Amino acid sequence: MAEYAHPEVLVETDWVAEHLHDPNVRLVECDEDLLLYDQGHIPGAIKIDWVADLNDAVVRDYLNREQFEQLMASNGISNDTTVIFYGDKNNWWATYALWVFKLFGHEDARIMNGGRTKWVAEGREMTREVPSYPQTTYKAPERDDATIRAFRDQVRQHINQKGGALVDVRGPQEFSGERTHMPEYPQEGTLRGGHIPTAVNIPWAKAVKEDATFKSPEELRALYEGQGVTPDKDVISYCRIGERSSHTWFVLKYLLGYPNVRNYDGSWTEWGNGVGLPIEKTYNQ
Amino acid sequence: MDRQEAIEYLLEHYENPRNNGPMEDADVTMPGGNPGCGDVVTLYVKLNEAGDHVDRVTFEGQGCTISQAAASILTEMVEGKPLSEIDEMDFNDMIDELGREVVSNRPRCATLALGTLKAAIAKYRNDQVRADLAQS
Repeated sequence: MAEYAHPEVLVETDWVAEHLHDPNVRLVECDEDLLLYDQGHIPGAIKIDWVADLNDAVVRDYLNREQFEQLMASNGISNDTTVIFYGDKNNWWATYALWVFKLFGHEDARIMNGGRTKWVAEGREMTREVPSYPQTTYKAPERDDATIRAFRDQVRQHINQKGGALVDVRGPQEFSGERTHMPEYPQEGTLRGGHIPTAVNIPWAKAVKEDATFKSPEELRALYEGQGVTPDKDVISYCRIGERSSHTWFVLKYLLGYPNVRNYDGSWTEWGNGVGLPIEKTYNQ
Repeated sequence: MDRQEAIEYLLEHYENPRNNGPMEDADVTMPGGNPGCGDVVTLYVKLNEAGDHVDRVTFEGQGCTISQAAASILTEMVEGKPLSEIDEMDFNDMIDELGREVVSNRPRCATLALGTLKAAIAKYRNDQVRADLAQS
């Protein structure tokens, strides 16, 4: 089997079990379920919540450099700490947190393959004990919104230029415009259903196997290249608020090694409500 | 209730849900769901004979810890309450009951069950009006 383009960004549960007491490794649990960590977590893991810790409380944006430095310092993370993210929902929120860490250039950030599901399924140790770590000094650069993040106007330009690929990672019903939410999820307040023109639909969870680990490089390549999302293109992924698409961003950038991939975190909640923004809708009723 | 007490309160209800399951003789059944979180609850409401008090509420649901714990807590809170008191129940009251410091970042999860209960009562009243009109 061929290797992933950057195999170092994935660690297996065995590796994590062997590094539970490694002072240079910090385990970070990121879940959709706010209290899952409190029900039990991997010994030594801290919790980072995508709302409370990563989002600005007022502006729809992420924390700024000072806030990120404070978050790192208070959790005992140094610039050279190896940060291992894991979480529920196939690591969906773990990849989101990793993406935010990369906006601030944290060098060594990795994902535990299979996430919380695999760790629990293997019957590994869990605890309710919340660890505390000595305060560190963390120096972050200003947040880099240019390299791996896309904004609405850039997406608008993107759909009119050749050599780009736009990946809508939501479900087929969201893509077609039949729904503005995930199957089994209630309706939400997006004014229009559909997708951004030129986008192809590759639901994010197609990148993982039943045991929540990532599919093989060959399978992933076939999945994305089969729909024209090839490494030579400038790729933007999006979903509803940029969380599911951070998972696809991670797959394309690190597992397949695409050089130019950005995540459009405004996603459908911005585009579907945006004044003057074109959409395509394939569901007609 | 401090933060840790609130967490323990919620986890205890999540792990040992009260009034959990369908109710065959419910007067009204109301599904509810939460955008962006994937939580769903269905409430089964039984009223007293006069139709002005809650006799009993049960729930079924799936989703995050807060949404399911809140549903369990709510079923205990409203047992025997007059409908007028439920009308007066504020979403902020529910957040305070659950522990504001813990649940304030997930307000929709925290208030899903209460919103669904209010919708159930509204449905019951509408059904009563329709029934009265049909008879007159």
